[in-house]
Amino acid sequence: MSDSQIIVGLEIGTSKVCAVVGEVSGNQVANIIGLGQSKSRGVRKGEIVDASVVEEDVRNAIVEAEHMADVEIQSVFLGVTGSHMRGFNNTGVHPVVSADREINDADVQDVIKNAKAVNLPSDHSVVHVIRQHFSVDGQDGILNPEGMLGVKMEVDVHVVSGRYNRLQNPIRLVNGLHLQVENIAFNGLASALATLSTEQKELGTLVIDLGAGSTEYTIYSGGVIKHTGVLAVGGDHVSNDLAYGLKVPLGRAEQLKVDNGSAVIDAELNDPIIDLSTDNIIPGKKINLNHLQMIMSMRLREIFELIENDIKQAGYIDYLRAGVVLCGGGARTPYITKLAGEVFKLPAAIGRSSTVSGIKNALDEPEFSTSIGLIKFGAFQTQTIPNQGGFGRALRKQFVSLFGVRK
Amino acid sequence: MKEYDLPVIRFIGLGETGVKLVETLAMIGLNGVESYSLDTDNRSLSRCHQSKTLLLGKSIPCGLGAGGDIAFARAAIESDRDYLAKLVSEVDLVFVIAGMGGGTGTEAASFVARLAKEAGALVVGVAATPFNCEGSRRCNKAAGGIRDLKQSSDVVFHFSNEEVMHMSGGETTLNMALETANRYLCESVLGLCRMLIEPGLLNVSFGDLKSSMKEKNSLGSILCVESDRVDFASDIMEKILAHPSSLNGKAFREATTLLVHFSGNDNLSLAEINKVIESISLCASAVDLIVGATDSSKNSLLQVTLVIVQKSKTISSLMETNESKDFTPNEAHNLSGPENFMPSGDNSYVNLGVKSKSANRGGFAFAPPAPALETISPEMKESLLEAAANQEPNRKKRKGIKQEMLPLEIISKGRFEKSEPTVHKGEDLDQPTYIRRGILLN
Ligand SMILES: Nc1nc2c(ncn2[C@@H]2O[C@H](COP(=O)(O)OP(=O)(O)OP(=O)(O)O)[C@@H](O)[C@H]2O)c(=O)[nH]1
Ligand SMILES: Nc1ncnc2c1ncn2[C@@H]1O[C@H](COP(=O)(O)OP(=O)(O)OP(=O)(O)O)[C@@H](O)[C@H]1O
Ligand SMILES: [Mg+2]
Ligand SMILES: [Mg+2]
Repeated sequence: MSDSQIIVGLEIGTSKVCAVVGEVSGNQVANIIGLGQSKSRGVRKGEIVDASVVEEDVRNAIVEAEHMADVEIQSVFLGVTGSHMRGFNNTGVHPVVSADREINDADVQDVIKNAKAVNLPSDHSVVHVIRQHFSVDGQDGILNPEGMLGVKMEVDVHVVSGRYNRLQNPIRLVNGLHLQVENIAFNGLASALATLSTEQKELGTLVIDLGAGSTEYTIYSGGVIKHTGVLAVGGDHVSNDLAYGLKVPLGRAEQLKVDNGSAVIDAELNDPIIDLSTDNIIPGKKINLNHLQMIMSMRLREIFELIENDIKQAGYIDYLRAGVVLCGGGARTPYITKLAGEVFKLPAAIGRSSTVSGIKNALDEPEFSTSIGLIKFGAFQTQTIPNQGGFGRALRKQFVSLFGVRK
Repeated sequence: MKEYDLPVIRFIGLGETGVKLVETLAMIGLNGVESYSLDTDNRSLSRCHQSKTLLLGKSIPCGLGAGGDIAFARAAIESDRDYLAKLVSEVDLVFVIAGMGGGTGTEAASFVARLAKEAGALVVGVAATPFNCEGSRRCNKAAGGIRDLKQSSDVVFHFSNEEVMHMSGGETTLNMALETANRYLCESVLGLCRMLIEPGLLNVSFGDLKSSMKEKNSLGSILCVESDRVDFASDIMEKILAHPSSLNGKAFREATTLLVHFSGNDNLSLAEINKVIESISLCASAVDLIVGATDSSKNSLLQVTLVIVQKSKTISSLMETNESKDFTPNEAHNLSGPENFMPSGDNSYVNLGVKSKSANRGGFAFAPPAPALETISPEMKESLLEAAANQEPNRKKRKGIKQEMLPLEIISKGRFEKSEPTVHKGEDLDQPTYIRRGILLN
């Protein structure tokens, strides 16, 4: 039986479309064998606004990845995001009915089914239902209740949902390129899967993916996902603010951000003036670095504060014993960890997709964490199928047919 | 005089390159083959005399080509969907011929191929790809176009302009390279058709061709070479290896199936055939080899057509068997287990789309070999090929090396124009933070 499996993660991001090809064998560890990228021209805030150019961009990325990995890509795990997506927790309840009160597999399935029956707005659909913990007769934190004795069993789950139509857009686009979408995953979840170690997931970590169009965040604690969220604000906003404030074209603002950006204000700048007089786009222009840093730091600080507020409100700020991990292209901003440290009052670090091996420079770039995480997500899914008994039978074909029956 | 039910074969040329090639093929004129030239560009159609033409997207309106604009090309093609669907219906074999990298050909090829496939035809794509110097954007677009075409066709034969250039040494001109490329291309398509419709000594039928494309969506190459010598083997082998589509022999090494077809007069030497086959087998070990021969008594030349079908690089074929299973516990076990990510249940679902795998075509039965094709003298053919390749070289030249410019981005509030505003607690977060906080830049 084949033990090695090719899994492709595809992120249709706001600044780049990125396809990563991973080889997964036996366990979940992926070896990255291909990477394809294309500048993204038809995405805003993580969502497609111009399908025809996105189609071209996705195709380019796929072709490049195919070329590098020397495989023909037929299916992908697709990342999704957008302001329409919601994360919330839900509880399922189930009475244990067997005469001996011993919890069996059927009970576990039933309680999960109950938890999945969430009340969504009619235009929303479920993207993930992620199991957190079981409790039996009020005893919390049980990972596997099978075989325990009890009367009432509960399960907590984290649900991620989104607007059906808006989730469907990228799926339809990808299908249009003759690519099967194996499954979709929330970008924030994928980034967390790529960057967190087992220990970080256990201790409690906040992962923030600072993208160009949107910022996703995910909290892992006790080994399970506690909270997810998305803000439709990202690096594009930083650049747009700079373009507006420094009165330069957006493209130039983007470049200034990358070349001279900083997440904090450096009070002791020797020479705060950048002379752009040799610049043939805007001759004679001078830029005040103090202004640049002011504009940037205010925007980035605001992003962190909005996230912090949300987490506080959800009551998870004290769960983050392993601090904050930053990824996405925005994590390249100098002093971004310093700013995050100040806002969250926690240690912050740049996330590395260290839990997979392969092409070295792909893994070192924070903007690939989503795509790499999608491979991990795919590996999880293709490895085990509930109620099928063991890993060996869990080949992708079965997985697909499992998903094929829905309507 | 038709005693047999001739298979209906259509050449469909799309975009400027496709039109040029189909027009050339039409001028050479194969019995029973109908040629159609389709473009969004009036100028390229105006040069057609033998093939039937259609200006795509008349209702849009257009007439000056797509200028590389995929979206525009798509709109033009969609607007003529009905005509195209009719064009490929009740046809047995459709050749979809295009140059990849521009707008019309790139976009229309897979579209037409898909329609043809839906209509039940066997679909052969013939695609020319750009020179590297035309820029990576164009080359990527071409690679994407091939990918799409491959997904919608039974097989795609790929002709690389870049490879032609390499084979002819650095000295050649753009015009010469295109001319050479077009000649190789037309000869190959003709060779393939000949193989299918000439009366056979060792018959290679359409069924053989079809079954050699075991998996659909395969990529391959065809090449056709000629010799006027009686002891042709070494001459033929030399020409085969010098042919751009053999990729210096790499094409053989990556082949799963090779179809070798000899078309010559009645004193075709079996010993020489053997030599050719042996040399080819040496280059390509462990492949299916199909050999055919036909007698085209009017032709004093020996022509050898070689169809190479490449190994599919699909994911399944890559999987390696690794018996030692490793169940070392890892994070999936002590953390949220894999199944936990799975939504399941009732109605509130995302639809992942249908599995577009098996668009099963009905059986394709091929009639016995057809009567000999109409012949033209080799000289005539030569001059036709030349003439076609030479049409308006200047325009081509200008077009081919034009640099594509990135549009300049101008000051933008418009970055978020097309998207939903990001509003949080009544505050419009699209506005710069420093402005909302009332900071003045002094
Ligand atoms: N083999 C060959 N390739 C060609 C020839 N002319 C152009 N090409 C290649 O084909 C590619 C596509 O060009 P065209 O066929 O002109 O494009 P089109 O389909 O008409 O596209 P639009 O003009 O954008 O609608 C070019 O990038 C060239 O590399 C030719 O005569 N022979
Ligand atoms: N050195 C840098 N300093 C500051 N910002 C940077 C730097 N490098 C990249 N960025 C920013 O990172 C962003 C791109 O990040 P990323 O590739 O993660 O986004 P994306 O995945 O395309 O978008 P999204 O996930 O929001 O749809 C851009 O806004 C870019 O300006
Ligand atoms: Mg991203
Ligand atoms: Mg044209």
